[in-house]
Amino acid sequence: MTGTPLRTVHERLGARLTTFGGWEMPLRYEGVIAEHMAVRTAAGVFDVSHLGRFEVSGPGATAVTRSLLCNDIVKADAGRAQYTMALNDRGGVEDDIIVWRLDADRYWVMPNGTNFHEILGRFVEAGAESIEVDGVRDDTVLVAVQGPEAPAVLEHVVGFVPGRFRTVEAEFDGAPMWTAGTGYTGERGAEIAVPGSRGEALFVALVEAGAAPCGLAARDTLRLEMGYPLWGQDLDPATTPLEAGLGWVVDWTHDFVGRGALLAQREQGFAKHLVAFRLADRRIPRHGCAMRRGAATGTVTSGNFSPVLERGIGMGYLSPPAADEPLEIEIRGSWHRAEIVEPPFIQR
Amino acid sequence: MQIPEDRKYAENHEWALLLDDGTVRVGITDYAQDALGDIVFVDLPEIGRQLDAGESFGEVESTKSVSDVYAPVAGSITTRNEALVESPELINSDPYGDGWFVVIDPGDSGSLDHLMDAAEYTAHTE
Repeated sequence: MTGTPLRTVHERLGARLTTFGGWEMPLRYEGVIAEHMAVRTAAGVFDVSHLGRFEVSGPGATAVTRSLLCNDIVKADAGRAQYTMALNDRGGVEDDIIVWRLDADRYWVMPNGTNFHEILGRFVEAGAESIEVDGVRDDTVLVAVQGPEAPAVLEHVVGFVPGRFRTVEAEFDGAPMWTAGTGYTGERGAEIAVPGSRGEALFVALVEAGAAPCGLAARDTLRLEMGYPLWGQDLDPATTPLEAGLGWVVDWTHDFVGRGALLAQREQGFAKHLVAFRLADRRIPRHGCAMRRGAATGTVTSGNFSPVLERGIGMGYLSPPAADEPLEIEIRGSWHRAEIVEPPFIQR
Repeated sequence: MQIPEDRKYAENHEWALLLDDGTVRVGITDYAQDALGDIVFVDLPEIGRQLDAGESFGEVESTKSVSDVYAPVAGSITTRNEALVESPELINSDPYGDGWFVVIDPGDSGSLDHLMDAAEYTAHTE
């Protein structure tokens, strides 16, 4: 099994480990709710070394990136990051991806950990002659610092704070450091990559500067409160960005894999759509729970407890898209009334 | 991991404490609360409900999962810990004290002999 180079640090900090996409990673330290609230009210640091990342560079890098991803990277200047997706020829989501445009023709492409090799392979195949692809995951540690006090922590440890969706390359402890003002929590902060040999020093310095160590369980409740989808649950190869309510990620003015199928779907309408909801009580809707709304039925794709709202929240797909009837979720054999909301569930 | 010696334990990680009046206070163990993680919801049974030993009498829900809670002894529910409705996190912070679930009146069949003692339960969790 592959695992984070920071394992001994996490164990020293009291982490319980889990296996996620073949990677052994911290699931929680003090507890999901304490970690969640640390990120909402102060600062937290996550080891996210399992996330995919590879560098694409060379004269063909921009053309290849544009052709493979449905958002248009040229809308982001050098020094910016962008949320985008790789689709299949049916318009389904093969992965959702953050791209850091470090220079005009040099990118860090950051797929989900489980899709790392698939997406890297697409780039290699599409640009064999004109680009260089360097899988930097095995050589680096990636951490995310998130929360209203994350800027102060970053200032103290790395000496600067990347702007929202801005990339900054600098040095840490005499080694290269790649950063961007991105994350998966809705809070201010940054994601930071350093060579594996500097990972422990960086993580420990961030903790000592006041960031609470946080595990993947809190990362999941934080992203759900923001209504951010998780690939493999809320997004998959049989679901299009339009069905997921993520049409804003699609740039129609350039050509990309899946564009024809998406155009057809936009004309003809779609068979299912994503709804987000909150329960009136503390019951937790979970992945796989049945949903019904009038004649429409569906399944919860993500659900959990919102530590901020102290209510169960979730999202899932209804088919066919339903109108005004009340939404109900089946939890442990009984139907619970749910209120449909526009994500995010909380205001940041 | 705390396992007090003043009470008995069931295989599904409930504890049973015999009170002076012959009734039995029931909760879940430190091991169980730690495995569940942050508890956010508890479903408690109605007062007066009759239970068989080993019957599910409620649910405990954490951010991670939801589990049934089973009666370690047969009897009827006499008291519920109403504080858990608003503060289910008491189960995490004080599983053997303020985080108790219910009191069961076992009637004449009030023996805890079929349950594990602390030493046996320690072995059970290892």
